[in-house]
Amino acid sequence: MLRGLYTAASGMIAEQRRHDAVTNNIANLNTPGYKSTRSVNQAFPEMLITAMGGTEPQAAPIGKLNTGVFAEENLIGLLQGDVTETDRPQDLALVSDILVNGATFDASGKYVDPNGNVVYQPQAFFTVQDANGERRYTRNGSFRTAADGTLVSSEGLPVLGVNGQPITVPGSWDNVVVTSDGRLLDKTTGAGLPGNPQLLLTRVDNPNDLIREGDGLFRYEGAANGIAPVQAGDRVEIRQGYLERSNVDASQSMVDLMAALRAYEANQKVVQFYDQSLDKAVNEVGKV
Amino acid sequence: MNNSMISAAASMGAMQRKLDMLAENIANLNTSGYKRKNAVFEDILTNIQPQERDFDLPGRQSPLGFTQGWGARVVAQTLDLTQGPLQQTGNSTDVAIEGNALFEVRVGAALNSERAFTRQGAFQLMPVTEADGTVSRMLVTDSGQPVVAVDNGEDTFIRVPDGYDLHIAADGTLTAANADQTETLDLGKLKLVEVTKPDLLQAVGDNLYGVPQNVNADDVVRSIQDAPGQESGVAVRQGYLEQSNVNLVEEMADLIAVQRAYQLNARALTSGDQMLQMATDLRG
Repeated sequence: MLRGLYTAASGMIAEQRRHDAVTNNIANLNTPGYKSTRSVNQAFPEMLITAMGGTEPQAAPIGKLNTGVFAEENLIGLLQGDVTETDRPQDLALVSDILVNGATFDASGKYVDPNGNVVYQPQAFFTVQDANGERRYTRNGSFRTAADGTLVSSEGLPVLGVNGQPITVPGSWDNVVVTSDGRLLDKTTGAGLPGNPQLLLTRVDNPNDLIREGDGLFRYEGAANGIAPVQAGDRVEIRQGYLERSNVDASQSMVDLMAALRAYEANQKVVQFYDQSLDKAVNEVGKV
Repeated sequence: MNNSMISAAASMGAMQRKLDMLAENIANLNTSGYKRKNAVFEDILTNIQPQERDFDLPGRQSPLGFTQGWGARVVAQTLDLTQGPLQQTGNSTDVAIEGNALFEVRVGAALNSERAFTRQGAFQLMPVTEADGTVSRMLVTDSGQPVVAVDNGEDTFIRVPDGYDLHIAADGTLTAANADQTETLDLGKLKLVEVTKPDLLQAVGDNLYGVPQNVNADDVVRSIQDAPGQESGVAVRQGYLEQSNVNLVEEMADLIAVQRAYQLNARALTSGDQMLQMATDLRG
């Protein structure tokens, strides 16, 4: 069978996956704390092509050929989203700009040093606890209070403090001030609340080790030494009364959508041409 | 393309719900005591397609597994309890609250019926005939629910005898004075509750708020007790009405943003449909 037919079909499927990722970004244009998805394509492993027959007695290699493409991974784009004011005391926004010695990061948070080593910009997250007791990470700071005073995410998962326990505020949040490093203070006295609660901010050194679970949550799948609480000099701050908006750029997304659609169409044309070639081979060449 | 169409369709539904909430806020622009509602979005649960070991090729940055999202949804509806502006009406039964507090009312005519709370102070004095035949006037909301006061530590309704005028002090103390100011009756104090957890309040219609069945009401609202020397930060104004706290400019800006997001999602849906059309046209 013609190799190119399957290559073109694989191109169509890869562009469809890219289209799906961009549609999901557009759908989450208004979701606070949403981080955009970027689809990465990877070529199939190369095949060595040899020529058979001809003037040479043995098959001679011509070269290498890729036989297809597939959508390999959906990367998380962790650019800082814009911060918008909501005046709600439980809305918190994380502004994170962690520096790494000697590295200047590009727009996608990557830095390649002169030796070729790739370094990613670490990112900070709020820490919540899911139903199984495991830690999950989120940037969506739209929190609310449960009936027993626990601070919960918009899904109902408790937000953890530095002591590893959920944060509980017995009174009204109108009286609570959250400092830029996450400590909860009484607005009238300026002292800490009973128990000195402080929000646990987690720093992830390589954000590509995170897996998106949906509902605004990320799960960490990397090495244990790549994740730690945020330190004092890390340039991470919390702003109370603000929300971090989705970092999806609408115009870029529309351009990506059009590009995926036209690439799909181009591959479709290639499939149609192969179909016509086969049509000739089957119906006309062999006609008696 | 099916993923695209499902994502876009689900998100259009979410935008529609947000639009409904904005329309409700704008419709209640002039309702006294109305508190605006806000929607919180969240992205829908992602599924992770497993990838085998062979997919771990050089240059791959994330762990194995292909994540697919399915759009966005509205996950919660929050109440915005900021103070609305006060308008002077001159009506002696109109009351406005300044600060974080709600009036307490009863849903039915009896003192042991369900508790409800409201911010709208457009009260009326309704004539009632007591058990012993005397006619007095009871303070009710404009939908007929009786307002609760605290007299000697107990919840009661407010009854003003005929020929007396009602006076409400800034801390809620109720007195009734007769026409020539010779007699004054002490009717107790308006029961005000402070909202500690506004996320758990539910709107139950007639501009009233209630607490859901499975939640303890004392966790959500707390009676304001004036300890001597402690300021509660709440004042009551007789002759004023609190206007709705909806800001038309903000609602219209939100409306434009939601409308454009809806359009973009519709565009993505059409694009997915075009891809489906191309797949159908592959052969024939």
